[in-house]
Amino acid sequence: MRNALVIAAREFEEKRFVAYAAIAFAVLPFVILNLIPMSKGKSPGEAIVILAVILSSGFTVGLGVITGATFIGDVSAGRMSFYFSRPVGSLSIWFGKLTAGIVLIVGCFGIIAAPARFIGNSWASVWDITFAQLSVAVLGAAVALFLIAHVIGTFVRSRSPLIAADFVAAVVCGAVIWLLSLPLALGLAANLVKWLLIPLAIALTIAIVAGGAWQLERGRTDRRRGHLALSHFLWGAMAVALLLAAGFVWWVVSVKPADITDAVVSHSPGTAFMTIAGKTSNRGDYVAAWLMNIDDGRSIRIDAQSARGAVQYTRDGRSALWPVLVGNVAELRLYTVGDAAPIDTGLTVWGDFIFPSDDGGRIATVNQGILSIYDVATRRSFASTRIPQTKFARGLFVTPDLFRIYLQIDSELRIFELDVRTRALRETGVISSPKYAFLSLEPTAARMVVRVAQSNVVTLNDARTGTVIRTLLTGSRASVSRCLRDGRIVVIETQPGGTVMHLFAPDGSPVRDIALGPSAPAWFAGDDGTHVVLLTAMSGTRNLVSIDVNRGVVERREPNVGQWTQGGFYELRPAIGPLREVVYQDMQKHVMAWNPTTGASRRIVGG
Amino acid sequence: MSDSAIQIADLTVNYGRKVAVDQVSLSVTRGAVYALVGRNGAGKSSLVRCLLGQQKPGDGKVTLFDEDVWSRRSELMQRVGVVSEDADAPPEMSVAAIARFCARLYRKWDQESVEERLRMFGVPLSSRFGSLSKGQRKQVSLALALANTPELLVLDDPTLGLDVVARKSLFEEVIGDLADRGTTVFITTHDLIGVETFADRVGMIENGKLVLDEEVDALKSRFRRIRFATDPAALDTTVMRPTVMRAWGGGAEAIVSNYDDIAFEQMRSTSSIGAAEVQAMSLEEIFIAIAGGNNGRNE
Repeated sequence: MRNALVIAAREFEEKRFVAYAAIAFAVLPFVILNLIPMSKGKSPGEAIVILAVILSSGFTVGLGVITGATFIGDVSAGRMSFYFSRPVGSLSIWFGKLTAGIVLIVGCFGIIAAPARFIGNSWASVWDITFAQLSVAVLGAAVALFLIAHVIGTFVRSRSPLIAADFVAAVVCGAVIWLLSLPLALGLAANLVKWLLIPLAIALTIAIVAGGAWQLERGRTDRRRGHLALSHFLWGAMAVALLLAAGFVWWVVSVKPADITDAVVSHSPGTAFMTIAGKTSNRGDYVAAWLMNIDDGRSIRIDAQSARGAVQYTRDGRSALWPVLVGNVAELRLYTVGDAAPIDTGLTVWGDFIFPSDDGGRIATVNQGILSIYDVATRRSFASTRIPQTKFARGLFVTPDLFRIYLQIDSELRIFELDVRTRALRETGVISSPKYAFLSLEPTAARMVVRVAQSNVVTLNDARTGTVIRTLLTGSRASVSRCLRDGRIVVIETQPGGTVMHLFAPDGSPVRDIALGPSAPAWFAGDDGTHVVLLTAMSGTRNLVSIDVNRGVVERREPNVGQWTQGGFYELRPAIGPLREVVYQDMQKHVMAWNPTTGASRRIVGG
Repeated sequence: MSDSAIQIADLTVNYGRKVAVDQVSLSVTRGAVYALVGRNGAGKSSLVRCLLGQQKPGDGKVTLFDEDVWSRRSELMQRVGVVSEDADAPPEMSVAAIARFCARLYRKWDQESVEERLRMFGVPLSSRFGSLSKGQRKQVSLALALANTPELLVLDDPTLGLDVVARKSLFEEVIGDLADRGTTVFITTHDLIGVETFADRVGMIENGKLVLDEEVDALKSRFRRIRFATDPAALDTTVMRPTVMRAWGGGAEAIVSNYDDIAFEQMRSTSSIGAAEVQAMSLEEIFIAIAGGNNGRNE
């Protein structure tokens, strides 16, 4: 230790002219201010701060490179016999030189930056970051360059063919770090990526520092042996660090649905599937997502991004479709109940609207005004045509060969149909719609309920032409308007006196009103033609209620409802299959399934 | 504790496929002056680096004062003074600063002796090391190497760059004095005339191999130049082994490496050698003869 300080002092003394240069740089802003007159309204303090930061940052980073290449450069060049013929150990030599180099870098930065910190007095008005943050960034970069310059200097100066292996090792390390970061990034875990990279950066720093000591101990004045020693130590240490990092990443990504601590669940009524996503226990901000079959409990891991509303279910409830991010695009995967694994549809999508046919056999996509129809089995494009561009598009396969699309453009809802066999696109109708129009089609897709946001009007329209068949409600405060499986229509209106469900016949004639109790928001959760399941929120408590629309009574109620999990608000048509269980989260955040027919609840995930 | 200050056993140094030092073994007793001679690139500097623990040999072992120099280098250097081939102190430092720095690393340090020697050499303490001539740098290195009163002084070609006066001073006053005081000296040099007067033992390294390792007196006593007036056809080469045999005047000149007075007189009395003149040889002449002989063999 004493000898290390002796060497540090000697090295520092040798380079003291650098400190003199730093003092000159510290004075420079004041000289410049005296030579160049300030513009009116400009503060001299701000000018000093700006100049001092620029000069200190440039000087320090440059010094880091030069110092790394020269201060400890004689280590990498093997010019060390002066030290090695004295009674000093390799560790003392290395850490003495290292200490002197770092002290010089930090000292010079402090000298040049001091006016910005203490004299300018205008730091906050010029920079968004604090002086401490700037110091850490600049000094961190300078010291990193200092160490890297030493490593590169050692590799180059040895003139050994081993440098090729070093290059390969560096590329492999970089690739492994990228591969380790990727699954965390795909899990939306920005903090975990940071906490992966920071320890790896620290490990690299330690490996270079300790490797330098090892280089001197093993190589001494022999450049090639020194290079070999540094390479062995550096890449060996990095291999260990990367193995540990890989173990950490493997542990993070090997979560199971039961590990989710704060689940976000989306279940489409009438389908067996739900997506479950969320942060997982002890894994920071890592988000994992699964597609889960609530009937058999099987789950398939999907990209966390896919869980954010990107999963599409087919109307028959047997298939689910989701994108898997690959670089800047996404490959579309399809899973059907009974299949061993998802299939790659061969479709690459980016920012597209995706509409599967009822059985998932065909897929329509809309991207930048191009509507395309694909056949999943053959991976062929059947049709492709230009349509008006919009941010809001909803579509459905009326039949496997006829695709209809509703485009919200300015104050109109325009309706188009594409005949897949003739590849002919026709605009079939238009509806005046100053705001977003909520649509719900009856199963044959011949008619639909239209509720334009903030219009207080609910109408029954021809689904193909948009022509109004009948006005169902005016002046209403409707929050739900849906076609049921048998073609009947329910509209839920929240009035000051209470919430009311209006039931209409398929032709739009009123059937009955059902009082649902005190005024409370309500959301549609599914139906089987006879029963309508709603989620209601009253006085801070949430309930799932099953209403027999034929008898006009609330038949069952599940009160222990916490987070709402239902997706599929914008499904255009009722599901084909029977009403399945409705998925929700209870007050304890367990993911539950409630059978509206029997009233039985079962736990799917959690706890 | 053995009597050896230096023990080198089967030392081998490789640079890739090139063998710089090839299974060299030698021993230097305490208090002896050992001169290692060899041509440029023969492997002397590699051997010295291994001797000082600055380079790990590919094979073999080096011990100083019975301790492994590779693992105990730092401690052993307290007892060793070194003048390296290229004076390698930092060029920006003044001589005084270098001396101050070195003083803090040694347990024993005689600053007065450093200053006195530098005065004697005519080197100002305030001079930057980089501004000194090659010879002055060697003198500074020597002054520093002696300041810790070393038990072993290693001099790697110390006369390189020295003028005649400085060379004479180095050999006669410094090394001679050290030898008298019982300091072990290991010197690599080309200057065989200089070391001849005080070297106890000499080694010769050729192409990495130690081709000679012998007491100087014994070496000098067995090498003779014999000049024959006529062709010495009757020279019994089984008795007198000629290292070199060449024409000289009307006769021939032979350099023999196993000269023996009695055997030679016996041979002369019983054969028709005729007139012959026997001359003793200097170390330099012996070195040239051996090097030439080896080259001849190599060719």
